[in-house]
Amino acid sequence: MGFLGAGIGVGIIAIGAGIGIGLIGKGAVESIARQPEASGDIRGAMILTAAFIEGVALFGAIVCALLALNITT
Amino acid sequence: MSQLLRRIAISILFLLVLNPDSLAADQSQEKEPVIDVIGKVVDHDYLELVGGVKVYLPRIFMADGEWYFFANTQSAVDSGEFEKTEAGLVRTDGERISLDMSITSHLMYVWFGMLLTLFLALWAARKYRSGVGSKTEPKGISQNLFEVFFVFIRDDIAKEYIPGDKHKKFVNYLFSVFMMIAFMNIFGLLPWGVAATADLTVTATLAAITFFITQWNGSKDHWQHVFMFPGVHPAMRLILTPVEILGLFTKPFALAIRLFANMLSGKIMIVCVLGLIFIFTDIFGPAVGLTSSILWVGLTALLYILKAFIALLQAYIFTLLSAVFIGMAVEEHHHEHESKVATTTDVHV
Repeated sequence: MGFLGAGIGVGIIAIGAGIGIGLIGKGAVESIARQPEASGDIRGAMILTAAFIEGVALFGAIVCALLALNITT
Repeated sequence: MSQLLRRIAISILFLLVLNPDSLAADQSQEKEPVIDVIGKVVDHDYLELVGGVKVYLPRIFMADGEWYFFANTQSAVDSGEFEKTEAGLVRTDGERISLDMSITSHLMYVWFGMLLTLFLALWAARKYRSGVGSKTEPKGISQNLFEVFFVFIRDDIAKEYIPGDKHKKFVNYLFSVFMMIAFMNIFGLLPWGVAATADLTVTATLAAITFFITQWNGSKDHWQHVFMFPGVHPAMRLILTPVEILGLFTKPFALAIRLFANMLSGKIMIVCVLGLIFIFTDIFGPAVGLTSSILWVGLTALLYILKAFIALLQAYIFTLLSAVFIGMAVEEHHHEHESKVATTTDVHV
């Protein structure tokens, strides 16, 4: 049961994080195309936001790893 | 080239067919796992040196108000006071160990990172005090490299996210935490090394330091936003205050988890991909394992490049978010100013 939950959970995490980071990339590329001189600032903001999403995604991934490895502490 | 690949694929297929016990391999249910992934990433009581030499580290315990010092785990077991179990060392008489201050491999690497950062800072300080760099141009590759990193932290992180003159106070912390995390992450790339940041204790300690610095330097407005959110209905504060208090703690928590999970996942990925060689050897026989190792070693090399990039990126993100949180806390808003402007325009209208 833990394995099943972990597998499904990781799949959902990948979907969520993929959509999120994809939207960030879309926004960043569009705004760089519109205003190429601001690309430095946009890149910084993009990395910052992507880091937030990544943090949540990895948090879920750790929970799934704990489920799969059956660590009960 | 394509013919070579085709030949490799055909040989793998051939070897698969040749190996009849590949189907019978998973008959025994209670088999030992081929590779111990978790064992590779947890903390150890020894320090591995070049060539697989293990240096066992001291164990220090406090149990029942008494301190126990041992040169290593073996001598602790030999003394009869402690015994080895699945969960680590326990007292033979069943007493709970109240404090385990043992020196572990992760702790050693934290110290290495700290020492390197300290030496770097002292070395640079001596150089700048002697006039090289402050009066003249910086000399040599190492000093220029130092200046690149330092100016990057100061101008692109501290000045950008911490408002006003206040950033000067925090550049020291941000630079040292960046260097320390970067060093600890890069130690994980060494073949015998351990990334100390792949341990939640280490990252949580670093995040806790950021938390305390943030709250210590919090301005009046910061605390007002936490307890008495300005400009909303008093009943709304019943909801906002708990959320804001929770927000104080989730920020450093996310900081710790992010660094930990990134470094741990990188480590697990490398061990798993390299472990595929041994899994393939176990299932299909040594020939397939050896042939497929070309693929896995190549993939590991690529992962290593990615990991080297992530090592610096995560140090950057930790520093950046620390600066953002500190900047949010020290910032002073001007609510009364806004309301004053509003009233004067009212009068004019």
